[in-house]
Amino acid sequence: MLKVEELEAGYAGSQVLHSISLRVGDGETVVVLGPNGHGKTTLLRAISGLVRPRAGRVEFDGTELTHLPTEQIVAAGVVHIPQGDLPFPEMTVLENLLVGAYRSDAWGARAERLERVFQLFPPLAERQRQLARSLSGGERRMLALGRGLMSTARLLMIDEPSLGLAPLVIEQVYATIHAIKRSGLSILLVDENAEHVAGLADRMYLLEAGVLVREGAAAALLRDQALLAAYLG
Amino acid sequence: MEIRDALDALLQALYSGVLSGSVYGLMAIGLTLIWGSLRMLNLAHGALYIAGAYIAYGVLSALGWPVLVTFALAVGGAAVIGLAIQLVLINPILDNPGRDSASLIATLAASIVVQSAILLLFGGQTKELPPLLEGGFKVGTTLISYQGLVVIGAAVVCLLLMTIFLRVSRRGLAIRAISQNMDAARLMGIPIAPTFVVVMVISAGLAGLAGVLLGSILFFTPSGGFTPMLMAMVVTIFGGLGSVPGTIWAAYIIGLMESFLAVFVGPSWALPGIFLFMIVMLVLRPNGLFGLGEVRRL
Repeated sequence: MLKVEELEAGYAGSQVLHSISLRVGDGETVVVLGPNGHGKTTLLRAISGLVRPRAGRVEFDGTELTHLPTEQIVAAGVVHIPQGDLPFPEMTVLENLLVGAYRSDAWGARAERLERVFQLFPPLAERQRQLARSLSGGERRMLALGRGLMSTARLLMIDEPSLGLAPLVIEQVYATIHAIKRSGLSILLVDENAEHVAGLADRMYLLEAGVLVREGAAAALLRDQALLAAYLG
Repeated sequence: MEIRDALDALLQALYSGVLSGSVYGLMAIGLTLIWGSLRMLNLAHGALYIAGAYIAYGVLSALGWPVLVTFALAVGGAAVIGLAIQLVLINPILDNPGRDSASLIATLAASIVVQSAILLLFGGQTKELPPLLEGGFKVGTTLISYQGLVVIGAAVVCLLLMTIFLRVSRRGLAIRAISQNMDAARLMGIPIAPTFVVVMVISAGLAGLAGVLLGSILFFTPSGGFTPMLMAMVVTIFGGLGSVPGTIWAAYIIGLMESFLAVFVGPSWALPGIFLFMIVMLVLRPNGLFGLGEVRRL
């Protein structure tokens, strides 16, 4: 479904990603594990076109995405849920979700999608008239996930959803990602904590200093404690 | 007798304050939208205002079409000039790292071109437009013209429509999303450049509307857009840059303050008084009335 080949990307003066190749199959959940500052976020930004790749190819269902503008990458069905808080802080929960359905193909079906998101995240339904900045950390993360689900995404790219959350809330957030997985969506998740993604990932990659150093079935990689300790510390 | 005089003065101040507040609101809302989403100070805003007045004047004197049709053409004409400025000057420099200063120069240049074109076509003499509605009535000593009420009504309707547009429509939500977090907005599939075009066209149309509406109350010349733009900037800053509700409140507060100073203290106190107030307020509330610092609010 998603095929990334020898992708190179970076920012002015520094190259972050070196010849990254990975793939995500239909309905598969793939996790890229790596420590902070090793290029996980840049990888997702390069796929979604926020960072221009310097070399390599990104392909989705046979369509080349490499040099398309972000809005066309979203239109193709690749939706990136960025890291961190408060995407649109001065908009209500409901307005945030509606922006998620901005693409005209999603806008027509926004009522059904909204219902689905509220079923998945009941706290969002209760707080739909509140400004997003008044939500708790866990609710904000739910809002970010829910907003991604308002789109016509077929592949959801999720950037470290546990960042800055309390342990109990982290459990809830990963439980909802499980629910998203069960709904059949393909997922590409980047994370730095192997424990969070155990049981969720089908396949995993280890990323170190901008290079994918290992790839394999999640169960096998997660059993190898020595390997995980060596890369993640 | 004295109470009566005071009431007359009060009514006069209220009427002209609401009238100028309405025009400031129409002008300032466009500046606010552009500032909030593009982070750009549009120095061509005053030229768009005066272009509205002159397009109406030109169509009326050359073709003699009905006033209402003429006014609509003027709004459309100003919007088209705004569209051209955006497509020709602003969109090509959107990804340019020096966009801030480049857009200042580009919009200043556009305003000079528009004003010079007006000067060439119409000359420098003062002009005026006929009102949509003639006549008026007197309350006490205050003459309330029907045209004044048209201006106030049109402004209130437009400001309300604008607020609703930004709250519920797909495009309006996209404009607010861009103003609050541009990267996240792009990740929702919102195309940046086309949305900026929508913002510019709306903002230019509102400036043109302010121009034709006020052109039927006051005389105007080709450089007549400067003062309204200056007042709109004051209103925009006072309202907290980028805040639409703040801008609307600020427009009426500034308009009323101006007229109360003029009526009760003396006309020459109006502008210095407002700027003195601005200085004090910016010391006390540096982000403006509704401003939230780096948080954007459209």
